[in-house]
Amino acid sequence: MSHIKTSLKLLGNQAKYAHLNAFTSLANGETVLETTAAAASIPNPNPLSGRLIAVKDNICTKDLRTTAASRILKGFTSPYDATVVRQLKDAGAIVAGKTNMDEFGMGSHNTHSYFGAAELSRREGEHLSSGGSSGGSALAVASGQCWAALGTDTGGSVRLPAAYTGVIGFKPSYGLLSRWGVIAYANSLDTVGILGSSVNDIQHIFEKLNVHDPQDPTSLLRRTRTRIDSNPSKSLQSDRSTERLRIGIPLDYNISTLDPMVRRTWTRALRMLESRGHTLHQVSLPATRHALSAYYILAPAEASSNLAKYDGVRYGSRAEGIDGTPESVLFAKTRGQGFGAEVRRRILLGAFSLSAQAIDNYFIQAQKVRRLVQQDFDDIFSTQNPLQDSPPELKSEEKVDVLLCPTAPTLPPTLASVKDQDPLNAYMNDVFTVPASLAGLPAISVPVGLELDDRDPELFNENIKQTAGMQIIGQYGDDPLVLSVAAELQQLDQGLDPSGGENEPVWRTPRDKE
Amino acid sequence: MFVRPTLAALAPARPYICPSCLHRATFQPLISSPYTSALVATRRRALHTVGNPSTDHDAPFRKTLKDAAKQRKRERSGDSVHQASKASEPRLQKWELTVGIEIHAELNTARKLFSSAASSTNDAPNTHVALFDAAFPGSQPHFQIETLIPALRAALALDCEIQPKSSFDRKHYFYQDQPAGYQITQYYEPFARDGRITLHPHDFPNGISPQGGPIAIDIKQVQMEQDTAKTVHQPPATHLLDFNRVSHPLIEIITLPQIHDPTTAAACVRKIQRILRSVDACTAGMESGGLRADVNVSVRERHTQAAQVGNSYHGVTGLGQRTEIKNLASVKAVEDAIIAERDRQIDILESGGVIEGETRGWTLGSKSTKRLRGKEGEIDYRYMPDPDIAPVLVDKDLVAHLQSTLYLSTDDAIKMLTEGEEYNLTSKDASTLVSLDDGARLEYYLDVYQLLHLTLRSRPECLRGAGKVTGNWVLMELGALFKNEIWSADRVPPNQLASIISHLLQKKITGRTAKLLLSLKFQGDSRDVAQIIVDEEMALQPLSQEEYIELAQRLLVENPNIVKDIVEKKQYKKVKWFVGQMIGKAAEGKVEPIAAETVIAELLNLPPGKLK
Repeated sequence: MSHIKTSLKLLGNQAKYAHLNAFTSLANGETVLETTAAAASIPNPNPLSGRLIAVKDNICTKDLRTTAASRILKGFTSPYDATVVRQLKDAGAIVAGKTNMDEFGMGSHNTHSYFGAAELSRREGEHLSSGGSSGGSALAVASGQCWAALGTDTGGSVRLPAAYTGVIGFKPSYGLLSRWGVIAYANSLDTVGILGSSVNDIQHIFEKLNVHDPQDPTSLLRRTRTRIDSNPSKSLQSDRSTERLRIGIPLDYNISTLDPMVRRTWTRALRMLESRGHTLHQVSLPATRHALSAYYILAPAEASSNLAKYDGVRYGSRAEGIDGTPESVLFAKTRGQGFGAEVRRRILLGAFSLSAQAIDNYFIQAQKVRRLVQQDFDDIFSTQNPLQDSPPELKSEEKVDVLLCPTAPTLPPTLASVKDQDPLNAYMNDVFTVPASLAGLPAISVPVGLELDDRDPELFNENIKQTAGMQIIGQYGDDPLVLSVAAELQQLDQGLDPSGGENEPVWRTPRDKE
Repeated sequence: MFVRPTLAALAPARPYICPSCLHRATFQPLISSPYTSALVATRRRALHTVGNPSTDHDAPFRKTLKDAAKQRKRERSGDSVHQASKASEPRLQKWELTVGIEIHAELNTARKLFSSAASSTNDAPNTHVALFDAAFPGSQPHFQIETLIPALRAALALDCEIQPKSSFDRKHYFYQDQPAGYQITQYYEPFARDGRITLHPHDFPNGISPQGGPIAIDIKQVQMEQDTAKTVHQPPATHLLDFNRVSHPLIEIITLPQIHDPTTAAACVRKIQRILRSVDACTAGMESGGLRADVNVSVRERHTQAAQVGNSYHGVTGLGQRTEIKNLASVKAVEDAIIAERDRQIDILESGGVIEGETRGWTLGSKSTKRLRGKEGEIDYRYMPDPDIAPVLVDKDLVAHLQSTLYLSTDDAIKMLTEGEEYNLTSKDASTLVSLDDGARLEYYLDVYQLLHLTLRSRPECLRGAGKVTGNWVLMELGALFKNEIWSADRVPPNQLASIISHLLQKKITGRTAKLLLSLKFQGDSRDVAQIIVDEEMALQPLSQEEYIELAQRLLVENPNIVKDIVEKKQYKKVKWFVGQMIGKAAEGKVEPIAAETVIAELLNLPPGKLK
């Protein structure tokens, strides 16, 4: 299919699935087509040229508003493009639009948006959570409104919505993709992620974005990247090839609240990989059980700091009338009105855990837990963490190349159930994604079909594919390995259980066409 | 006097003086009156040297020193009580004051701390603002590594230990001049610690240290941080924000609470200001807003057990409850605010009250400090390491290099000038040289001396005492000419003064000629000193023996009475009169007194040895 035809099809889907509320703003359709046509005529096209890529609304764009789905930034247009946006444009890609999200990335169901929830609705009457916070990006890919999408992942915000909507969501190692122009939620955790319907597409985008950016002070330097690529401990493992990998099963992730259907899909995925000659090994990550609590101390703490800049003084919206006392020019009212309930909650949480009375018991403890989580991973991975100084260890029998575990404890919940959920239960959704975020590791969520017995007969009859997200986690810098295992898993799953055609919603099975 | 009321009238009306206005005021006198230059000179001195505007700064510094020495003498002989203020304030015998100071100084850097925007002072508002400076969404800090250099120089000049690793933290508070909602500073790991500043008697305006000898004050730490935006209030309700100043690099210098006297606190601030300028860490002084101080003040009863008063600050224990006075913009404000706050606290304690830990403010000219906020209103800054800024690692080679290229500290300079054989100045002259004109006078002196040294390399016998002679010429002769004018090294360039002194030391000209030459150069004679000497035939060209005899004989014949006095009445001293006449009659510099005396004595047949 030519690029023009593809773009037309995607633009059609944008209209068809507008009710999913995946976008907060869309690029002008005519401009998109003109740019697509121009891209088709360039002499050396690369895999991204002429491709429509959706961008999460917390990533700055000059041409489209950047609101982070917050009232306080409604109508805000950034004076500059984020580095990742510039990189996409330079590669010939077209920004399809800005996608819906939980306000400033805070949420797991994309319900905390000034623009309303982005919902997964594959058929009449279905109102499911698209996951958060990059729910819009995941939905836009899932419903065929774009070729691929950028999201951001702080504690699972790319992987969780990918799992719920049945697409692939990749969070690279921290520091590989530039954050310049990415609105900070918790900058020690924030990572730009990529969502797509195939690992191959994601790989193409990742290659374009995976370069040092001097604008981002946390972007890995070239020499560090080179060092990681030639990690001496990698070459020590002569038997490590994609043909025979040691795959770890973290027992600590087998929690009692894990949905049995998801558990069975996990087993199915492990069996598929085992059938290809990989070996399975139990591993223990004891600090995991504290990871979620640590995350919900650290992320709000950084958020309370990062969001202090939104005062309506230099940009963004301001409350009507006089704010503050007559003698001062403050902005309590502006901030009170501009932020939604969840953002206010996390700012308060963060302000508390950084306060003089609480910092030692909360923030400092959480940082220690974060270090333990990272050590846990370093203990079980066969590759040495290239950012740690300890000498490379030889591979022991217990060590593994990658981990495989579910992305979320459940299938996508209904929006109605989410609405009544108390915040603590909502935070539980992130239990499997947060550890990799704390350790800065590459992780990817791949949709794997449910066991036949677990499928909902109604959906089955309507030819709607039913999947659960499986997460592959690798050592820091092992992004290529994580991607290759994901590609293999997707291939295995598609072989047994194919998705619909190109530019169709991912949930359509081929039978749909008959 | 005319000058002081004028200045006093200006001061309260202009709490902030921008440096360019200051320049204009200094160099483009608007009124052409004979008093203008006096006004300018006074202001200038108040700004740059011992500027306590209320003290008698019209007196030249040397006179102040002299008076101080006299007073010291009197004190030693028991004429006066140890300290006047203590005598009039018996309460101070009972209560001891303790003060710690935090000084914020703008670093002399080309760029801001976390963006490549230029640092500026007087450019059009909001013309130097990077995305990060205005806290735009998605922007990130770019630490400008070269801002470290002046910071390191400052810390080294304050005898600090440079930390191999330091890091940046966010200090949170909301204010419209703080775009990010936090200030980036160094709370947990400052870049320099454990410094020290020593106040010598010459660091006090009257040359007297309140404790007699030198006073050492420990510096807890020096940290780098961002400045805030400038708010310009336009009544009734408009606040204009200028973000040019946002993120201008500052250093904050924190002393331990070891100061027990308001004048010591003032001297400490003044000296830190001078040190920062002398190592080129900062350009602007307090007067132009480039330096601000916060002081914390407490009092405690002397001679009580430490256990009874239990406050401890920075490891200094047994202190009274302290209050903090913020944002003092001049040395005088520091001193006055401390005195007012000390007296307020003593009043409360003597009437049985309790001091509250609170933040207070001070406005120039007021009688007391004003409460800004109490403990309950205290801001919890919620310090958090900035996750976007990597730790700063400073190589010890860099520190060693900066240390070796650091300018002389005032104390080291005085030591160099007074100790050893080279310069051999009196400590009075040395401290005068160092304190004048922001060190420019000392630089001038060293230039002249060095040039002189080069010229007279081959004649070491002429160089004996050259340091002292140069000192006299720079301070006394040139000082007298500059009495009512602003110092400028270009008026008589160092090589010209060196040439004058060199001719003098080689006895090529007389002292009178030398003074005349200096005065000619000062008045703008553009010719070289050597050229003037040739043109005006000023060189000391001794008369021939015949010419001496001829001149002497003529004078002897013209003045028979005086000859009679000498020969008959043996009034040998009158020979000197003839010598004077001979010098006067001959062309400038032609007659050498000793040669003239010899000729007279010979002609009159005086017995040898009678003239001495």
